[in-house]
Amino acid sequence: MNDRQKDLIQKFAALAGLLLLVIVFSLTSSAFFSVGNAMTVSLQVTSIVYLGIGATFVILTGGIDLSVGSVLALSGVVAGMLVKGGMPVAPAFVLGIGVGALCGAVNGLCVTRLKLPPFIATLGMMLVARGVALQLTDARAISGLGEAFGTLGNGALWRIEEIDAQGFPDVVFPGIPYPVLLMVALAIVATLLLRRTTLGRHIHAVGSNGEAARLSGVDVNRVTMFAYVTSGALAGLAGCVLMSRLVTAQPNEGVMYELDAIAAAVIGGTSLIGGVGTISGTLIGAFVIGVLRNGLNMNGVSSFTQQIIIGGVILVTVWIDQLRNRR
Amino acid sequence: MTAALSADPPMPLLRMQGVSKRFDNVVALSGVALEVRRGEVHAICGENGAGKSTLMKILSGVYTPDEGEICIDGAPVRIAGLQQAQALGIVMIHQELNLVPHLSVAENIWLGREPRRGWFVDRERQREGARACLRRLGVDVDPDAQVSTLSIAQQQMVEIAKALSMQARLLIMDEPTSSLGEADATRMLRVVQDLKREGVGILYISHRLDELDHIVDRVTVLRDGRYIATLDWKRTSIAEIVGLMVGRELNQQFPPATRQPGAQLLLKVRGLQRDGVFGPVDFELRRGEILGFAGLVGAGRTEVARAIFGADPLDAGRIELDGQALDIRSPRDAIAAGIAYVSEDRKAHGLAVKMSVAHNITLANLGVLSSRLGFIDAARERETAETYIRRLGIRTPSPEQVARLLSGGNQQKIVIAKWLFRQARIILFDEPTRGIDVGARYAIYELMDQLAATGIGIIMISSDLPEIMGLTDRVAVFRQGQLAAMLETRHCSQQHVMHHASVGPAEPSEPPRVALATLS
Repeated sequence: MNDRQKDLIQKFAALAGLLLLVIVFSLTSSAFFSVGNAMTVSLQVTSIVYLGIGATFVILTGGIDLSVGSVLALSGVVAGMLVKGGMPVAPAFVLGIGVGALCGAVNGLCVTRLKLPPFIATLGMMLVARGVALQLTDARAISGLGEAFGTLGNGALWRIEEIDAQGFPDVVFPGIPYPVLLMVALAIVATLLLRRTTLGRHIHAVGSNGEAARLSGVDVNRVTMFAYVTSGALAGLAGCVLMSRLVTAQPNEGVMYELDAIAAAVIGGTSLIGGVGTISGTLIGAFVIGVLRNGLNMNGVSSFTQQIIIGGVILVTVWIDQLRNRR
Repeated sequence: MTAALSADPPMPLLRMQGVSKRFDNVVALSGVALEVRRGEVHAICGENGAGKSTLMKILSGVYTPDEGEICIDGAPVRIAGLQQAQALGIVMIHQELNLVPHLSVAENIWLGREPRRGWFVDRERQREGARACLRRLGVDVDPDAQVSTLSIAQQQMVEIAKALSMQARLLIMDEPTSSLGEADATRMLRVVQDLKREGVGILYISHRLDELDHIVDRVTVLRDGRYIATLDWKRTSIAEIVGLMVGRELNQQFPPATRQPGAQLLLKVRGLQRDGVFGPVDFELRRGEILGFAGLVGAGRTEVARAIFGADPLDAGRIELDGQALDIRSPRDAIAAGIAYVSEDRKAHGLAVKMSVAHNITLANLGVLSSRLGFIDAARERETAETYIRRLGIRTPSPEQVARLLSGGNQQKIVIAKWLFRQARIILFDEPTRGIDVGARYAIYELMDQLAATGIGIIMISSDLPEIMGLTDRVAVFRQGQLAAMLETRHCSQQHVMHHASVGPAEPSEPPRVALATLS
């Protein structure tokens, strides 16, 4: 069995797990299997996917990014403050994403120049970014941001409504939310980048064997920087989308999201040692987490129990992965 | 000794018969027999995949055989687990050393069997025991030194001391000299002889057939998991053993040279220096020439090569390619100039082991295969990989195969293919045949000669003197970070090279005693 087949089986196993979850929840809850709920799950999963794509890049290079949850909050808060200060929404979001990218760049510099272990570099950034977000806002949420601020997070494409006999709007099709479209677009771009481009190949090479990559003329520092900046920028994007959905800028948003992102990547078959992992896997991993949460909620399972179950799922998937790779 | 006893062959220390081992459907060993006497050094020869390591793992208790009988002192035994093997006095010293770098020598020797006083480790007894074992080996290592501060050779001695502390009666040594320079290898072999005199049976695995000459009593040859023959060393020859190993007569170890070194200078190095490591070093490399770098381990050969390649920093020096001065600050600069480096440790520095054969071949030259936006042309990449797989005879089921799963020789060819595709003009080979079996070595030598014939300049670092003598046009001999001599290979002998490497220029009529590899 070559690795391509192994990879397929791994992906198929995760996918089969996901389908199994969907079937089980469809049987236990009548509201679960519907277009509306599918959109809800997709929407809830978007943040994990944005962060998960960034996590996949970073983990592929053999690193880790613990700062994304905090960077998400800082970026969203900055965007919110700029809008509050009178800036139009679009450039405010761009600057918010820029703040995320900047945090990622600092992470990257700490790893490539100061030679800090990625765990430590991003742990530091996790605390710093969160602290700055809280400091800027005095730990208070920023509300009253206006309708335009909420468009990115709450708008949808192809929403179809009909006015019924009483003159009330009736939703025929909820439409595809903008965050979901963005998620699909990002997943496609990231997949192409990893599978088809020189940069993607170099990312794999750095994670597979950094020294061999360097001795083959790969600019290891540049590739590593790219991964962290991408992760930071995607965290910024996740922050803007999330705050837009809430139409408030929350400095306490995104706590522990980095762990969801890493979990999604790992459930999807990304190896924490680096060099192995796919975007499609991460996507499946994110949906496993999202469907679990949603389905367990619908079945009235408490959030504490949910944590226990998701923790168990991570352990079991990685264990199965280890079994497959042994010998 | 009574007449009856001397007429019978003495009871062997170890006798294995009909030992077989299967993994899934792959037969790793089938019906292998082996006999080791007390005080005998018994070599196991065979190509990679011949079953040597499976056999050793069965003996040391890592695997249990599917069939067959193992007797120690004539009594049948079952060896289940390392502990049990050790209790029987069977100890294996692995090729990759199994020491804990951050513990002291004494702590390593007693690891897992610490002498205790109550609840605590008896440090005094631990230290004394370690010192006694080290003294028995005649090595000067401080039992309190941290293992990470020791040289590879010293670490190997610690491994042996550890084996002695376990009262080893049968010592299994897997490539014990593969990472040692000549002088350390000599000491190592002397230790083996001492152990032999004390009645320890030694199973010795080595790719360096020539070094067996001084110590080995008998040889057992394996091929494709089957027992081929057991020969008395004195009544056989290297040619016969190699012939049995590969299953065909191998007349010469080295291919005839087809290259014609030109007069044109390719590389000119002046005053190359790295403070405290090597230099200043001056030398030239001509087009189509194979220049050997000989010397003891630690003489600075690898360091010079890595500096030329930009992998390590330089303090001074000038490197010219075709008369043009180069400013090399990183491997990227060197590669751009057409200089390539095939490292000593493929798995650590040469290959991205988790990536496919194809992706490894194209890694250094992806730009050629990509559009301006950086998209790789998958069809052309596959074509390229297939071309090089065919051209170099890389044995792989497909270009998509993960590099890790290939044999050492094939992995080496992948690295060479990578640099050919990058159109390297100078290739620095660091120990190109280390850990590669004899049959595959010949292919690598042939390849190097062919590369040189196309005008590529080759520098080959090697600790294997016969390899230096058999393959190079000139030899640069390094000693203590300096270029000690530049010799025409045709006009010198291994004794010359060895002498320059170890002592300094002297009468060639007085061959140095250290030279072990002199006979071959």
